[in-house]
Amino acid sequence: MKRVITILAVLLIASQGFAQLSGDEIMNKVYNLPTGNDQQGQLTMTLINKSGEQRVRKLQQYIKLYNGDEKKVMFFLAPADVRGTSFMNWSYADGRDDDQWIYLPALKRTKRISSDSKSESFMGSDFTYDDLGDRHPSEDTHKLLREETIDGKACYVVESTPKDDTYAYSKIISWIIKDNFMGAKREFYDEDGDLLKTLTVIKYDKIDGFWTILQTEMKNVQKNHKTEMKFENIQFNQGISDNKFTERGMTLGS
Amino acid sequence: MNLNNYLAIILILFFSGSVGAQGFVNTDITGYARNYTGVLLNNENNFSIIQNTLNLNFEKSTERGGFKVNPYLNHYFDRELEIGLREAYLDLYFKNFDIRVGKQQVIWGKAEGVFITDVVSPKDLREFLLPDFDEIRTGITAVKLNYFSGAHSIEAVWTPVFTPTQMPEQGSIWAPKMPFPMQPVWDYSTSEVKPSLENSEVYLRYSMMGSAFDFELVGGHFFYDDPSMFVTRQMDMQTQQLTGLTVRPEYQRVSMGGGSFSLPLGGLVLRGEGAYYTGRHFQTANPMATGSKVQKDNLHYMAGLDYILGGVRLSAQFIQEYILDYDDAINNNEFENTMTFLAKKDFLREKLWLELFAYIGLNNGDALIRPKASYSLADGFELIAGANLFVGNEGRFGQYDNNDMLYMKLKYNF
Repeated sequence: MKRVITILAVLLIASQGFAQLSGDEIMNKVYNLPTGNDQQGQLTMTLINKSGEQRVRKLQQYIKLYNGDEKKVMFFLAPADVRGTSFMNWSYADGRDDDQWIYLPALKRTKRISSDSKSESFMGSDFTYDDLGDRHPSEDTHKLLREETIDGKACYVVESTPKDDTYAYSKIISWIIKDNFMGAKREFYDEDGDLLKTLTVIKYDKIDGFWTILQTEMKNVQKNHKTEMKFENIQFNQGISDNKFTERGMTLGS
Repeated sequence: MNLNNYLAIILILFFSGSVGAQGFVNTDITGYARNYTGVLLNNENNFSIIQNTLNLNFEKSTERGGFKVNPYLNHYFDRELEIGLREAYLDLYFKNFDIRVGKQQVIWGKAEGVFITDVVSPKDLREFLLPDFDEIRTGITAVKLNYFSGAHSIEAVWTPVFTPTQMPEQGSIWAPKMPFPMQPVWDYSTSEVKPSLENSEVYLRYSMMGSAFDFELVGGHFFYDDPSMFVTRQMDMQTQQLTGLTVRPEYQRVSMGGGSFSLPLGGLVLRGEGAYYTGRHFQTANPMATGSKVQKDNLHYMAGLDYILGGVRLSAQFIQEYILDYDDAINNNEFENTMTFLAKKDFLREKLWLELFAYIGLNNGDALIRPKASYSLADGFELIAGANLFVGNEGRFGQYDNNDMLYMKLKYNF
C-alpha cells in the first residue's frame, strides 16, 4: 500500500510539473517578477522618424515599491527646453486610477494632471505613459495561444484582451520567455484589431540579482516610425528616500 | 545706460567667460535666446514689439545647498537696453527644511492665467498679460523657509522690501484706461513704501499632496501690489463744475486668507481656489468719501476643470470677484465674472503644438483670444506664431480692442 501511495504521489507531482500554465498564470508570473524594493537609472529615448531623423530625450528615473503600490518619479534631462521638468506617477495594486503630477520649472508649480493621459504618447515617443508602467494582469483576460521559439528562446505566446472597452488597445500579444518569464516581444493592436505597434526587447541581463530589460525598440508599423529606449546605470535597492516622491523631491531635481 | 547696467554686463560676461567658468566648476548654465516680433493689426500696422532676449540661468546644487542666478537682457528697437536679475538666491538644505535667501519667485495656488492666492511675487504688466507667465511674475527679495514632513509642508516667506506691480508707462498702448472724468495731475509724494521693518511683508502656506487630493491653505499680511488712488477734486464753487483732479497713488496694507485644492475625479481634475481680503480700497463716486475711496472686504475665487478629450487637453475656469457690503457708488462691479478656456494638442510626435487660450469677461462681453502654434525646428529650437485678439470696447480686455496683434517668436533653448 505504501508503495502505491508513493507511485501516486510521484505521478501527481510529475503531472503538476508538466501541466500547461494558463494565460493568467503566465501573466501573473511576469507581473510578480522580483524587482527589488527600489530601482533607479537613466533612460535614453531616441525617436526615429521614417526618414531616419533622430531626436533624443534623456531622463533619470526612480521607482520605489510600497506594499505593491509603486511610486515613480522621472526627471527630464534633455533636450534643453524640457530640462528640469519632472513627472511623478503613483500606481496602485488595488486597481485605483493612478495619481500623476508634473512639475514645470518655468512656472515653478507642481500640477496634478489627469490620469487619462496614460494612453497619450510619452514625450512624443512611440511609448504611451501606460506602456511604460506595469499593467496589472487583473485588468485583462489572458489566453495562452501557443508556444513558439524566437531568437532561440522558447516562449509562451499570450493574448491579453482588456476588460475595459475604452482602453487604448483592443488586444496585446506577448511573447514570454519560458525560462525566466521575461517579455521578449509584444504586439499592440488598435481598436479596429489591426497591428499598431511592435515592442522588441533587444537586450536584457541580470543586475544585482534581478532580471532587467536594458534595451527595447517600439515600432509603429502603421506610421513607420520607431523609438529606441536604453536603460543605463541601473541600480537596485539603494534605499531611495521617500522624500524623492514628494513635491519637494520633484522640485529639487535628480 | 547707467552704471548698474554696465556692472550687470560685466557680471554676465564674467559668469559666461572661461575665467569665470573655472570659478564655477560644475555650475549648470542654461537659458535661451529669443527674438519676439509683434505687429498690430490696426490701420497703421505698427510694430508693437521687437524684442531680442538673452536669458541665462547659473545653477549649482549640492546635498547641503545651492544657488541660482538668472540675469536677463532685453534689447528693443525703441527703448533702452534692459538688463536685470529675475532671480538671484542661495539655498540651504537640511533634513526636514530648506531656507532660500535672495531675489526669488514664489508661486502659489492652482489657478492658471489668473492670480488669486498667488500674491507673493508681484506682476510685470508692462505688456498686459501677454508675456510668458515666468516673465510676468517678478522676483522679490525674501527669506523663505520650507518645513517638510512627508506629504505635508509649511512655507513661511518674509519680504523686507515691498515690490509693486510694474505698470505700463503713460503713453504705452498697454496703459489701462483711467476712470477719471478729466486728465488728472499725478502726485507721487506718498506712493513709495519705505523699506523698513514695519513695512515688511509676511506670508504663510500649508500644503499637502496626497493620493486623494492636493490642497493649500495660505495667508498673508502685505501691501496690495496695485496702488489705490486718493483723488482730490477741485470744484468751481459758483458753477459747481469740476475744474481739476489730483490723483495720489498709495499702496495699502491688506490681510488675505485662502486656499486651493486639486481633486482627481476619474479622468477629470477639479481645481478650486479662493481668497478673502480685508482692508482693500476701492474707488467710489460718493462725494462724501475721503479721497474718493472706500474700504471693503472682498472675495476672489475660481473653479476649474481639466480633462482630455480625443487627445486634446482641455481646461476651463470660472473666476469671480465679489465686493462685500457693496454700495452702488463704487466704481468696480459688485461681481466681476471671468472665464478662461484652454485647448491644446500636439501633432507630429510633439514637434507641433497647437493651442487656443481665451479670457472672457462676462460683465462687459469682452475677451482676449490667443491662438498659438509652436513648431520644434530641432531639439531646443522653437518657432512660435500666434495672435492676441481683443474683443469688445470696454472692460479689462475690450479696452485694448485696437491692440490686436500677430506675433512670431524664434527661441533657442540651451
